[in-house]
Amino acid sequence: MPALDVSGLTYTYPGSSVPALKNVSFQAESGQLLAIVGPNEAGKSTLSLALAGLIPALFHGEMLGRVAVCGLDTRDHSPGDFAGRVGLVLQNPVNQLSGMRYTVYDEVAFGLENLGIPRIEMPGRIEQALVQVGLVDLRHRSPYTLSGGQQQRLALASVLVMSPSVLILDETTAMLDPQGRQEIFGVVQSLAQTGVTVIIVEHHLEWIARHANRVLALENGEVILDGPPDQVLTSARLRKNGVGWLRYTRVAALGQSRSLWPANRGLPVTLKETAAGFRSNGQE
Amino acid sequence: MTASPTPSHSGTLYQPGASFLHRLHPLTKLTFSLCALVVIFSGPGGWLSALLPGLLALSLLWRAGLGRLAARLSFRLLAWLAVIMFGIHGFFGPDNQTILFNLGPLEVGQEGIEFAFLITIRLAAMLLVSLTLVLTTHPSHLVQALTEFGLPGGLAYLLGSPLLLLPQMVVRAQAIHAVQQARGLETQGNLLQRMRALFPLVAPLVFSTLVDVEERSLALEVRGFSAPTRKTFLNELVDTRSQRLARRGLIALSIVTFLLGVGWRLYASS
Repeated sequence: MPALDVSGLTYTYPGSSVPALKNVSFQAESGQLLAIVGPNEAGKSTLSLALAGLIPALFHGEMLGRVAVCGLDTRDHSPGDFAGRVGLVLQNPVNQLSGMRYTVYDEVAFGLENLGIPRIEMPGRIEQALVQVGLVDLRHRSPYTLSGGQQQRLALASVLVMSPSVLILDETTAMLDPQGRQEIFGVVQSLAQTGVTVIIVEHHLEWIARHANRVLALENGEVILDGPPDQVLTSARLRKNGVGWLRYTRVAALGQSRSLWPANRGLPVTLKETAAGFRSNGQE
Repeated sequence: MTASPTPSHSGTLYQPGASFLHRLHPLTKLTFSLCALVVIFSGPGGWLSALLPGLLALSLLWRAGLGRLAARLSFRLLAWLAVIMFGIHGFFGPDNQTILFNLGPLEVGQEGIEFAFLITIRLAAMLLVSLTLVLTTHPSHLVQALTEFGLPGGLAYLLGSPLLLLPQMVVRAQAIHAVQQARGLETQGNLLQRMRALFPLVAPLVFSTLVDVEERSLALEVRGFSAPTRKTFLNELVDTRSQRLARRGLIALSIVTFLLGVGWRLYASS
């Protein structure tokens, strides 16, 4: 059974005549790191909400098709049923704090309390989540005194502590500085290796190229590309639709036009591939 | 309370500590505060019914090491209010008949001064009994206590979250103020200028708060806030038989005091 099974998903927000998602279909297996890319208004956040089970339950628009998370159809279950199965981390870290807790430690416990986890189990799980995101030393601090990167890691820990099978990160690093972004990426990389299905909506293509197993490109609510990073991120369609190409791909394409890139070699998405391509040009 | 580490910052009026007031169950402190309010406003004997709970609250806070803070907070909040009350009621009280002295063309009436005194004592007492709860109980513990008592989680959250979200809103309001000033908005000057500056300051605050509410509610849902399970809590709020008895006693006492107050007023009016 796939962790996520989306078939023919079309969703229109209330009051809108244009669907935000059009006939979206894909499956994601356990442990897969699937990146979603696309320009603004492509439907990335709407898809994230649908995958988290929040659409259609909390947004009363028109939904066609089916979304199943861990085998549960999102139309037949409330968001509460998905808590603990799916974790969603949004862009603004402050808004993801419960607003009810005065230490990092207590904040992480909030989700466990809602799930009715026995008190005796909580400290171990909280410690583990704090270790995963590197916040153990800050557990006594107020969530509101942390930096943006630390708050986002706290938001991540607050979701991870619930041991979700699917983790969705919707532009989680958008408000962070490079260091904060690397902190989040580091955690995500290690998570995917533990069997969690990670869906990451991200504009940082360089990281996607190196770490995602698969990339889904959206445009105007439709899936226009679906495949491994080296295929999707070098597609001419992606270049035109506002997402663009990585600098490595652009340099290699320029080299290709001047016969400096091997004709039989695909365009690269990483520095390593780029260097290898240019190096091999004279030899091939 | 157990298990929770001590915070280095809370952003609310709550003062971390381990005094006997801190250790009391939040419902005990809430019951004390509510019952004291009943006594303050409806007990017999006028200002005496307000003075006793106020002094009791101050002595409890003093024993908990928070007396100075409570007195300072109360003074700051009430000093200007008291001056206005005594001024308005002393000079212009509708029941003024006995003139105490003249200040130029104005007469100061005894009845107005007595009324202002009663109101000031009541407000001070109300503030002090509220501080026994607010200074020693973190809002999250109060919400937990209410939830464990049987109040729906959503309602308990609604009651408790403003206390914690207020500091956030203050920070945001300060940021908006700074940004609008940087964009040339004149926030100083006469009343008209200040009124004109109000909308560009308040509108972004309200709209951004509304946007945040939606995102926050999504985050809460994802974290299982409406999960169909019975909630558990990391921190154990220690309740004892004697505290439960004390709460019942306080409720009974406030009902008796209320009835005595009603009787006293009926007797006084006849």
